[in-house]
Amino acid sequence: MSGITSSTALWYASRATGVVCLVLLSVVMVIGILVNQQGRLPGLPRFAVLGLHRNLSLLTVAFVVVHVLTAVADSFVSISLAAAVIPFASAYKPLWLGLGAVSLDLMAAVIVTSLLRRHIGRRSWRLVHWLAYASWPFAVLHSLGASTDLREGLFRDLAIACIAAVVAAVAWRAARARTSVPRARRIPELMVPGVQARRGVPGGRPPGQVQRVPGGDR
Amino acid sequence: MSHRQQNSPPRRTPAAVAARDRGRARLRAATVSAAAASLVAAWAVALNLPGAASSAASSVHHATSGTSGTSGTWGTSGTSGTRGTSGTSGTSGSGSSSGASSGLGSPNSAPTASPGGGQVTSGGS
Repeated sequence: MSGITSSTALWYASRATGVVCLVLLSVVMVIGILVNQQGRLPGLPRFAVLGLHRNLSLLTVAFVVVHVLTAVADSFVSISLAAAVIPFASAYKPLWLGLGAVSLDLMAAVIVTSLLRRHIGRRSWRLVHWLAYASWPFAVLHSLGASTDLREGLFRDLAIACIAAVVAAVAWRAARARTSVPRARRIPELMVPGVQARRGVPGGRPPGQVQRVPGGDR
Repeated sequence: MSHRQQNSPPRRTPAAVAARDRGRARLRAATVSAAAASLVAAWAVALNLPGAASSAASSVHHATSGTSGTSGTWGTSGTSGTRGTSGTSGTSGSGSSSGASSGLGSPNSAPTASPGGGQVTSGGS
């Protein structure tokens, strides 16, 4: 009874993987924000949360690849592989597909630099990793603009939930960043006073100075 | 003495090693679960996408609710029509598919007739 046949399978696969990609990308964003703020998930140690973020990112990329390839392979609309990668090169819905291509390129940059993290240095990696924040809104706009699937019914609610989750996570991170102590100041505060002094941390005692214990003179 | 302790590698007690192994196992389980859930979700989404349901019922709905047309063809004024599947739509139906609701629209693709007098609802973009 389903409308999915052999001739329409690619069409439905492309649309379905697109919906799943949006959900996965939103989850990756939320976990990424959680990891950055030393967050934990129930039952998982912190290193596992970090690993889950990485694994889900790769899973998302796999679904994105299937989404793009099925869209290109399907003959219902003509989308070239170049149009899927080069922004605004598509003859079909150039704006919306172009936004998807931008999101794909940003995602690829984040993944590649993450794989080459040891070689490019943490600072460069972090700079590029911020692009993940830009990738998500482009993906959302692409999803809402290129397809009507997410504009009604259950899928609309799903899209709203994804947007709400990421916006809430970003707001939470922004609020915490405003109130928390920067890492550069936080680490010395946690260190023992002697180490503070040796490293020349402001507020630390100079070398050789003995810590005075209240009542120790007696 | 304390300086030497700071430079020495952290000791890995059996408890810490076991905790790390448990964490790895949970990470693996969570990743596999997420991958399986994603595949199942993709399948479920595909089945529930607009147009994936029974095409016959959908076509009858279009035939009855569409504005009157001439004959034989579906209207092409749809914003994004469902992709046609097979010729199972209404027999005497003619009408506009302006209310079509589904995925990517074909760029002004004309609806094609299917064997048996059925119509396909591939609306224009």
